[in-house]
Amino acid sequence: MKIFQLGAVGLGMIMMFSSCFKDEPYNAECDIEQVILHSTDAQAVFFNLSDTIQNVLFADSVIKVNVRSTAPLETVTPEFKTTPGATIQCIEGDVKQGKAVYMVTSEDGNWHRRYVLSLVPTMVTVSDTLKFDFEHFELDPTSQKFYIWHNVLPDGSLGNDWANGNAGFKISMGNAKPEEYPSVPIFDGYDGAAVKLTTRDTGPFGVMVNKRIAAGNFFLGSFDVKSALLDAMKATRFGITFDSKPVKLTGYYKYKVGATYIDQQGKPVPGKTDIGDIYAVFYRNHDDAGNPVTLYGDDVKTSPAIVAITKVNPVQPVGEWTPFEIEFNYIKDIDKTVLENRGYSLTIVFSSSIDGAIFQGAVGSELCVDKVRLVCTREE
Amino acid sequence: MKKLYVFLLSLVVSVTAIQAESFLSNVKAFIKPWRVDVHLGYAIGGSAPIGVPESIRKLNKFSLTPNLMLGLDAHRQINDRWGFTTGIHFENKGMSIDATVKNYHMEITRGGQTLNGQFTGRVTTDVTAWMFTLPLQATFNVSNKVQFKLGPYFSYLTNRTFDGYAYDGYLRVGNPTGEKVELGTKEGERGDYDFSEHMRRFQWGVDLGVDWHITKRFGAFADLSWGLSGIHQSDFHTIEQTLFPIYGTVGVSYRIR
Repeated sequence: MKIFQLGAVGLGMIMMFSSCFKDEPYNAECDIEQVILHSTDAQAVFFNLSDTIQNVLFADSVIKVNVRSTAPLETVTPEFKTTPGATIQCIEGDVKQGKAVYMVTSEDGNWHRRYVLSLVPTMVTVSDTLKFDFEHFELDPTSQKFYIWHNVLPDGSLGNDWANGNAGFKISMGNAKPEEYPSVPIFDGYDGAAVKLTTRDTGPFGVMVNKRIAAGNFFLGSFDVKSALLDAMKATRFGITFDSKPVKLTGYYKYKVGATYIDQQGKPVPGKTDIGDIYAVFYRNHDDAGNPVTLYGDDVKTSPAIVAITKVNPVQPVGEWTPFEIEFNYIKDIDKTVLENRGYSLTIVFSSSIDGAIFQGAVGSELCVDKVRLVCTREE
Repeated sequence: MKKLYVFLLSLVVSVTAIQAESFLSNVKAFIKPWRVDVHLGYAIGGSAPIGVPESIRKLNKFSLTPNLMLGLDAHRQINDRWGFTTGIHFENKGMSIDATVKNYHMEITRGGQTLNGQFTGRVTTDVTAWMFTLPLQATFNVSNKVQFKLGPYFSYLTNRTFDGYAYDGYLRVGNPTGEKVELGTKEGERGDYDFSEHMRRFQWGVDLGVDWHITKRFGAFADLSWGLSGIHQSDFHTIEQTLFPIYGTVGVSYRIR
């Protein structure tokens, strides 16, 4: 009897809870998740057929697709996959002329996001030496919290090929000043401004998710903050498509070791000293079936797609600007046709802690980099 | 000299004894009309917003927590029908729930760092709130055996926890257009929170109940206590909605005088 009464009261309470659920609210998000570029002559427009499907990172609002210099853009019709229920409107330009601006409105009508889609006819790299001087940086336009960098493209315009993990640090240390982030510019570099990468403490939120440090990192590729917590190795997407054969990487660096090397649990590891990391990887960006390949934090040095690799071994602690010069070690032959069709990707990586990807290192380790040169040869 | 001390001491003792005796007889006279019952009960309920917001989609799990109540109540009859009851209860108003939410506002502050945004996914919450409660109730006799009671209660929490985690979903940092961060289910992949220290020490509300005196000594009772103060401090806005403790208690009573 008692138990029955008890059960009846419990049931009553649960029914009280469940009976008052309201109708599902409309979606508040307004992302372009994917763009499918239809063309009656896709072979003439794109370097690879897989380029017709562009997955858009949630943090990105610029979608840039490299197309052939002779691409018949008038044949291209974009199709957008947005957050369910969101509506999209072209507010400026036309993709058929290479560039269009879109406004996406959420299903509930309260939120908007502006996207720029551009199809960029790409010339082959003519210069034999690419210069990276790190002179072009600004605060992230949306958050104004951390720095992002731009590289100078062959036509003199600015690109977004350099990525870093600052957006991930922002999640754990939202109140940090831009100068307190792992990847920051310094004005007194070897030559003009330089990049300074510092291994930082990620504070109480970092402890909560067992990611206690953030190494300063800087690489050619993109950073997908979506994965920063759940699958951090997938957050660093290494590589940009590259149509020359890299031979040599040179530059200047300084390195300072942080006081105490800690493991993932935050415990000091006696006798272990942090080391910095400077390396470059050249890899095949499609598999044999034509599927796109991207290297991530967990396979950037080990993937079978790697064609050539090089690294500074080791990155020694040095207080003065020190030159480095490393040559690519080719483990596979280059296919000229694949190279011309942008079938290879290149990444250059700098990190203040070599084990930063698994959240181990010493807070305070500091790597400064400047005046980086990538020497390439044209395949005969 | 020693004699004087002994004399003074015996004087003090005898005066105190006389006073104590008269005090005791006063007390006896005072408590004579009072009836005293021991209550032992179990509560089911939860701390919930009044009107579930649309961002809370589904209650996946509602686990029973050790919501025991032990009380000592005194009752005094004023006339045939009406009376008054008060007492002291030691009880737990806990809950353990798992809910699915959509676009639910969250804000977590830790060590001076703040993370806020809109979460879509699942949230598990565990609440423990052991407290001493003082009820002040008017009673009304329906019959010889059945008595209704209604009145306010005041509680002081001795032990409070309000913690849990957001998991299996994603957070849009700041607002629905902000960075999307996926949360997993395991520790280290999910967002743990602990708002224990933001719980109020004092709570109050209204208690409506019925006592059923089955035999001279034994009885049963049922109570519904409806909190009118939120379980968190009023300057705590991390959880958008104010949560009110609403609990139903059933149990047995034993009359000790």
